Parts: sequence; C-alpha cells; structure tokens
Amino acid sequence: MKQIELLNPKVQECIKKRGFTHLSDAQSRAIPLILHGKHLVLIAPTGTGKTESAMFPVFNGLLSLPAGGGFKALYITPLRALNRDILSRMQWWCGELGLTVGVRHGDTPMGERRKQALKPPDLLITTPETLQALFMGKRLRQHLKQVRYVIVDEVHDLAGSKRGAQLSVALERLHVYAGEFQRIGLSATVGNPEEIARFLCGARPCSVVQVPVAKHLEISVKYVGDDFKHQTDVLSKALKREGSTLVFVNTRVTAEALGHALFEHGDVEVHHGSLSKEVRIDAEERFKKGEIRTLICTSSMELGIDIGRVDHVIQFGSPREVARLVQRVGRAGHQLNTISRGTVFATGFDDLLESLVIAKKAKGNEIEPVVLPRNAADVLANQVAAIAVEYGEIERSAILEILERTALFSGCEVLLEDVCHQMEEHRLIRNNGGRIITTARARRYLSSNLSMIHDERKVPVFDMVSRRTVGTLDESFVVGWVHTGAVFITKGQLWRVLDIADGKLTVEPAKKAQGELPSWEGEQIPVPYNVAREAGEIRRKQNISDYTDGHEGIAFAKAFLSEMDKNRSLVPTDDLITLENTEEGVVCNVCAGHKANEALGRVLSILISARYGTTVGLDLDAYRMLLRLPSSIRAADVRDLLLTLEPAHMSGILRLALKRTALFKWKLVQIAKKFGAIDADADYEKISIHRLLDFFDNTVVQQEAYRELLSDYMDVDTAAAIVALIKEEKIRVDLGPHSLIGAGGLLSSRDQIPPPTADHAVIASLKRRLEQDDVVLACMNCRDWKSRTVVSRVPENPQCPKCGARLIAAIKPYDEEQYAMIRKPKKNSEERAVEQRLIKSANIVLSSGKKAVIALSARGVGPENASRILGTQAEGDAFYREILKAERTFIQTHRYWS
Amino acid sequence: MKMEFIGEGPALIIEGRQRMLVVADLHFGIEADLAAHGLHFKSRSESRLERLHKVIDLTKPDELVLLGDIKHSIPSLTWQEHHEMPQILDSLRTRLPLHVFPGNHDIGIERFLHDGEIRPKDGVVLDGVGYLHGHMIPSPALAGHLVVIGHHHPMLSLRDEVGCALQSPAYLRAEIDTFDTGKGPALKNSSPSRILFIPSFNEIAGYDILQIIKKPFSPLSRLMKKENTEIILADGTYIGPLRALITDETD
Repeated sequence: MKQIELLNPKVQECIKKRGFTHLSDAQSRAIPLILHGKHLVLIAPTGTGKTESAMFPVFNGLLSLPAGGGFKALYITPLRALNRDILSRMQWWCGELGLTVGVRHGDTPMGERRKQALKPPDLLITTPETLQALFMGKRLRQHLKQVRYVIVDEVHDLAGSKRGAQLSVALERLHVYAGEFQRIGLSATVGNPEEIARFLCGARPCSVVQVPVAKHLEISVKYVGDDFKHQTDVLSKALKREGSTLVFVNTRVTAEALGHALFEHGDVEVHHGSLSKEVRIDAEERFKKGEIRTLICTSSMELGIDIGRVDHVIQFGSPREVARLVQRVGRAGHQLNTISRGTVFATGFDDLLESLVIAKKAKGNEIEPVVLPRNAADVLANQVAAIAVEYGEIERSAILEILERTALFSGCEVLLEDVCHQMEEHRLIRNNGGRIITTARARRYLSSNLSMIHDERKVPVFDMVSRRTVGTLDESFVVGWVHTGAVFITKGQLWRVLDIADGKLTVEPAKKAQGELPSWEGEQIPVPYNVAREAGEIRRKQNISDYTDGHEGIAFAKAFLSEMDKNRSLVPTDDLITLENTEEGVVCNVCAGHKANEALGRVLSILISARYGTTVGLDLDAYRMLLRLPSSIRAADVRDLLLTLEPAHMSGILRLALKRTALFKWKLVQIAKKFGAIDADADYEKISIHRLLDFFDNTVVQQEAYRELLSDYMDVDTAAAIVALIKEEKIRVDLGPHSLIGAGGLLSSRDQIPPPTADHAVIASLKRRLEQDDVVLACMNCRDWKSRTVVSRVPENPQCPKCGARLIAAIKPYDEEQYAMIRKPKKNSEERAVEQRLIKSANIVLSSGKKAVIALSARGVGPENASRILGTQAEGDAFYREILKAERTFIQTHRYWS
Repeated sequence: MKMEFIGEGPALIIEGRQRMLVVADLHFGIEADLAAHGLHFKSRSESRLERLHKVIDLTKPDELVLLGDIKHSIPSLTWQEHHEMPQILDSLRTRLPLHVFPGNHDIGIERFLHDGEIRPKDGVVLDGVGYLHGHMIPSPALAGHLVVIGHHHPMLSLRDEVGCALQSPAYLRAEIDTFDTGKGPALKNSSPSRILFIPSFNEIAGYDILQIIKKPFSPLSRLMKKENTEIILADGTYIGPLRALITDETD
C-alpha cells in the first residue's frame, strides 16, 4: 500500500471511501512513474484498474494547480460509448475532490458546448475527432493553453489506424499552445509496446509498464459442428449455466442470426454497430443490471465499455487474431486478479485448426504487433487544411515543425510539399510561396472531414423484380466500379445493374456468372500469416492432439483428413501448395493468411490476364484463392506461372496492374475525399467517374492509394518470401483433384483483374461476334446444296453432303440470293462477276477451311480481302488483328456509310 | 465520302469535296459545374484545347465543325467562360473556318462568334452530310442524308467471360425511318436516314450506350432502330451490332 502514500491525502481518502483495499499490480507500478512526471504507456488487460492507475496521480496533479482558466487534462477515448462510461466514473471522483469534469463529443448538446467554452472543466473527456474541432474555435483554443495531462485510452486501437495518425498530429498542435504536457497511454496487450510509446510521444522518452495477460487467461476450444442448427443448440445449452455470458461473433449478420435463433431464451440481446445508440445503451444497461444474461456482440464490445460482471466469454467462430481473442476473453471476470475464462466455438475444419493455433499463441503471449501507418498523405492533407483554418495563414515550415515532432510524419518535407500542391488543385488551400493560406472551402471541408474514418454513404440495392431492397454497397465502390449491365454478388446471389440513379442501385436477379463483379460487404478481419502457416503445419503433422484434448475436435479433424485420403485428394499444408480445377476456375490452396494471399492472388491474376487476355475474378481467404477463369485455362497453366514467377518482380507487377481494379478505385475515391477533391455528398450521376479518376495519375493521391494498399491491405513481402520458398523447393506445388479443403470457405467474389490492354477485350468481342454470325455455306461443285448455319458450328473443312466436294463458298446471309443468281443458265455480266466472287470464296475455303469462313464473315470482308488476310499466315490473335484492320478500313469507306 | 476516326480526339474526319474535322461536346467550363456537384478540380480547358489543336495538326482539315456544347454552363455564362471562350475560339478560327452548331449548353455563345460561323440549331447539310447537335428534331432538309450528331456522349463497356475489360468512348451508327416524332405537325417527304452519334471530346463526359438505348433522352435516340444499330470505337475499331450487347444482357 505504500504507493498510495505518495498521493495527496485527499485522493487517498477518496480511494478508501470508494472501498479500494489495495492497489492492483498495474496501479502500484504506474502511479509512481506518473507522479514523477514521466510519459507512460500502461499495458494491462481490461479490468485491472487502468483508468484509475492513470487518474489517481493526475488528480493529484490537478489539485495542485490553481482553479479555472482552461482545460487541464484531456481524456481521449476512441468511442462515444466509452466517453459516457468514463464520465460516469469520473463524476464521483471529481465531485469528491472539488474538480470539474465534462464530456464533449458529437452527441454533446449545443448548450453544454457553450457552457464549456465559457467555463471550461478541469478534466475534459473527448474523442480524437472532437479534439480536432476544439482547434477551430477561438475561445476553445485559449482554453487549450492550460493542458498539463493527456490520457489516451485504448491507444492500441488508435495507433494502427489513420485516426491515430491524425491524433498524433493533433497532440503536437496542442503542444504549440500548451507546451510540454504529460502523456499517458492506456493499452491492451500488443506485440510491440515500444511502438505504441513512440506513437504517443514521438522522440520523447516514454516509460512502459506491462502487466502480463497470459496468466489471467483460461481459453478452451470446442468443436461445435458445421451445421448452424447444431451450433445454436450447443450454444443454447452452454448459456443455461449460472452467470452472465458475452458471445462474440465476427459479423453483424451472424450476430443477428444467433439472436434470432436464441430469441426464445428471453434473456438474450444483440449488440452491434448497425443498431441505434438507444438500442445499444438499453442492452448494455439491462445486461449490467442482470435483466439479461447473454449479450451477443461484435467488436463493438471489445473495448472497455463497462457492462458489469461477465462470467464467461464465448467466441463464436475463429477469432482470426491472437490480439482479438485476448482482448475479448479479457472481458470476462472483470474483477481485479480473477481469471478470465473463454471458450472458442469452432465451426469447421479451417476454423478449428485456426482457433487452436490462436488459443495456443494467446497462452504463449504471442500477440500481433500494431503497425503504425507512417506518412499517410491523406492524413497530412486533412491536417494541413485543419492547421490552415486554425491559423488563417501559416508558413509551411511551421507546419513541418509540428509534423516533425510526431513519430508518424518525421522526414515528410517533400511529401508535405506535394500534398500542399495537390490541395491547391482542389482549392482547399492556397500556396503563396512558402505560405499556406486558408480558403472559403476549407472550413466547410473540415466540418465534414473531422474524422479520418471513412464514413461511407451506403447505396441501397433495390431489386426490381421483388421490389424490395436487398442490401447496401459502399458508395466508393459503386462510383468507382459499378456500371449499367454490371453483375455482382451480394447476399450470395447474382444481380445485374439496371440503373444507378437517385442514390439507389436498381438491379434484377442474374442467372449467369458472366461479367461478374466483386461484392463489397465490409472488410474482413485478416488472419495473420503465422497463424495460417501453423494451421497448415497441423494439417501436415496431423498433431491436433498437441493442441487440444477436446475429443469432438480431434475426432472431426481425423475424419475430415481421412475423407480427403479416401478421395485421393492432396492435403495442402505449410510446405505444399495444391492447385485444383473446378467448374468456375482454378483453386490455389496456399496457407499464407489473407494479406499474403491477397498479394499472391493478385499477381497471379495479373499475369494470367496479360498472358491470356481475359479478365480474372479473384476470391480468397487465408488458406486458398479461387481464380475465376475461362475454362480453357487450367491448373497446370497456373502452376507454370507460379513456378516461373520471380519474387523480386512481384511488387512491380502489382503496382502496374492495381490501378485498373475495383479495390484501387475504391481507395482512390476515399483518399480523394480527404484531399477535398470530392465532397462527402458529391453527386456523381452526371459524369464518368472512371475518367475523372484518371486525373489523379501520378499525383500524391494515387501514391497514397498505392501506399495504403501495398502496406495495409496486402503483404507483398510475405508473398514474395513464399514464392522464394517455392523456387528453393522448400514449398512444393502439386496438381490435385478438387478437394474438400479446396471447396471450403469462399463465399463471394472480391475483385477482378482486367487484361492490360483494350486490345484483348476487343479481340475477345470480335471472336464472339464472328462465332455467333450466321453464314450460308453453298457447294460450288454440284451447285445444288446450300445450308444456313452459325460460324461456330462450321466444321474445320466443310464438305458438300450431296456431291462430297470441298469446294464450298461462304456467303453472308444477306447475299444469299446470289446463289440462286449464279444457278441461272444465262447470266449477264454482273451475274458472272458474282459467280467469280463465289468461286473465289469457295477456293479459299478449300485451302484454309474454317479459318476462311471466319474471315469471310467479317464486316466488309469479301474474297479479295479474305485471301489477303489468310495470305499473312497470321495465327491466333494476330489473325483476328488482321480482321480488325480490314473492318476498320471498310468502315472508313463510302460503301459502309451510304 | 471517306471517314477517318481519330482516336486521339475522339474526333472524326469526313472527307467529300472538303476535309471536315468534326468534334462534339467540348464542354469548356465544366469544372464550375463539377464543383457545384461536390467535385473540385482545376480547369482543364488548356489541355483540352491543346488536344484539339494537336488533332488539327494531325489531320490537316479544311474546315472545323463544332457540333455543339462547346461551353458548359447554363442558363447563364460564368466568369470563367467569359474569360476563356474568346481566346479558345480565336485560337481555332485563325487556323481554319468554323461551323458552330449550338447545343443545349451553348446559350449565349452567339456573342463570341463571328459573322457566318453560326449554323441553325436544327441542322444543315454541308458537303452532303447533315449536321446538328442532336438535342432537337432535325430540319426536314437533312432527311435521307447521313446525319452526324453529338449530345449523347456514348461510351461502351465491353465485357469478356469473367468481367468488365474495357470502357471506351464509342460511335453509334443507327437508322431511323423518319424524323417524325408523332408530336407536332407530321413531316412530309421524310425518308430513312443514317444517324451517327459521335462521342464526347470532353474527357470526363460519358453515358453508357445501354443507358442511351434504355432511357433515350432526345428525339433521335427515341426514334433510332435498335436492331441494326452498330458500334464503333473511338479509334475506328468496328465492334459490331448493338444486338450482341443486348443479348448479353438478357440471357
């Protein structure tokens, strides 16, 4: 208890009054450091008194400062819900200590805001976005001068995102007013605490206190079958025991489905981000009071919102990441020093192996690192606009000084210059030499761009046939990619776009998967490389009993693998990649995690599209990719590409081809919005957005889209490392029949990669047209047989069924009467000329067969032209290019136009 | 008569006795309208005009047909247009004679034109070919001729087996039986005509061809016969009948 004695007697008294008998490990280690004025990152599981660890010494400090004059401490959390929670906890303490406290975020009423501007509270609880807004008001800016403490709660959640990057700049903008203030970060367990410290403090020295999490965790994995009905039965049984349970799921859809299935329990509620604030708060309150015993929730409940006592956590389906599992299970046993108990319900083969690996890593404290987004150009643009509004006019060098103090934007001088130049193009600022001047638009821009969260408008998808809304798509996706006639998948069904108007996508059900587009139902939580790889190792070693003693799981995995053996399927593992032919294309089974597969799948798609001139559709998860291909391209072709791929070329290949994909355009629109080029409520209906996006070629906007996609969205280095392992024959590549593993997992299409030049698409359309063309075949030997057919049905060497001759003329359907003409016994000179043409036609069909028929079907191509085309001896695409050339010449002539 | 398709435009050369360069829908000043719709970009007038001059260098025409929507803002002129239009037109008229067919966006353009440059809104026949912008019913004098129009900004999306592989400005060659829309006084002596819809020279304007067919927004697009309409890419590549696209749609 001796650390308590370091505190102001008033604070000590409150602690006793509140009923704390002793300090937690986290508290006793953190308090002295904070009292000594050190910057600190405190890493501890939820429920270990993190907030108090930070606030006891902060109260101490606040008591020694003169009353009034401005905000003295800022407490920043990523969620409004957390703000409400912290406020209700802080009100008691501040009341007792004679300090004032307020909360300010998007929901705060105007009256409350005005009060804060006139009489600022000592402690202000806020979000990163509202902190941005504080810099916009003249009076509020003055109040920032008194800030001595900034506490960033759930800092791990912010540090890896652009929201965090924005916050890091805001802290340095605050520094301009307040000078050095003390920084305290509260974080869940991460793999790289030092990075979190750098994020919070830049180059300033920062202490780290870490309370190990593993000894507080007790995690088991239970296989619950792959049938949803059975899964809910097991869950239903598990919920009947004593105490309260949080059930975490990975998607909102699953949350709703489970909520529906468990409705009859009567004490189950659903909690996720799509529900209204009132519904969510109601569910939280009722859970806290014990009126309901089960809450089914998504990541919305991961962060430390206080919902009272949780006895058990169930993770429904693999948690995907170690950090996520630790965080979620950490919600159980919310009393100091008790053990958190959690069960993962595994729902399939991949899911089971993955869950076991993640559970093991959680126990071994192998948490993923947080990757800081460095030099994000859109964050920079956003902050330059904010600073311009804040100061009206400012030297660029002064902005640079602010940025250089952060960890995320050090060395960004050239980038800053590019960003400012680009922003001027969009009239967000003016550059006057080295001076940045705000514009009329900038304040308006800022009020709708306080946040770096992409607040996507959702475009409703309306089915004409059933006359109902079947779902929504992200607007950025719609404007960047969808066009009339496009087909995409959503809700497991194919839809064709009829119309895009009035902010609505009108569709009809489509039957065929032709021209299929990706769907965009929110991004999935990626499975990391080392988790996917270890799951592949279990497949190889078949050592599942090293991971679990759950007999259902062991029995299921054994049965699954023996079924694979029975079908003579190859089992893809960490050192075996298998390729399988399916009706839709080729499945590549690669245990590499989402991000590496995203990179590898895209490189393969690009190479295939370039080599074969076809669009390639791509679906993938952590263990496999489905390349949607025309049936002529087989697994063996993909293997050849994979074996000849150079790891060093992969990044370059991606850069070249990414530009034409839906993913890239989607990102580009989002980033362009942050540069002020596109308003949040822009109306795209009148223009071709595809061509508008070309304006960003070779700009910093495009560069940022590349940076984000190549660093956050996919993992090129790991994909290249896998290809290198293939080259060294440490990973084998084999062909196998379509297997249970190959068929697993994938649900919807993610993206498609078009061929690199229009040439391929044009040739493909020409081939299709000529094949579908009608043609009349007529015997020029007996002159007594003709037949109308389509080019695709013409045999390689047409022959007359009557006389057996191969002297067959190919006549265009609208010239069919010519055959009757030449059969007349007496011909005039014009008719004799027609006869000569038909004989010539028959002669080239005799010598070149079907190829001649194809050439003769082309527009404006008669026997003369056809024999010239055939004379070039061109084959394949080159042959069709000759036809295109002939048609192009024809349509320039008078004959075509009159 | 001979045609040349200039992919760098898109622009068209029609050569009879004269070599005519035809461009449509320049939409100078479109950026102000974009900004009003929440899209903020600096003016690209300069590079657009430069592109037009390059096409003139490349094709060496005798005369230039500006097929309407030369400027963008309606109903009134913007400051940008007041400032830019005289210079743009001067730079062109010093090189070759102009024929200006006013479009629906060209309200007020007369003040920038010299005597003899403006042509009737409902079109006129030059060197055997009928021209108009395309937002109204053509004059009966054009019947029976090839009629070249702008206004529709046609664009083609070409798909292959797996997905969308190409989007490109394109020409539509269509046929109509008569200019008679059924409204207004019936036209006598109206005979079948070929209509050529030419793509927009402006780099960001574009309507999907299927949209034009499904939701026709002009007299001529309402009258066109779908069954023998054909598509040609901006560079003169013959794509084929519209039919192929439509069946693609409904299978």
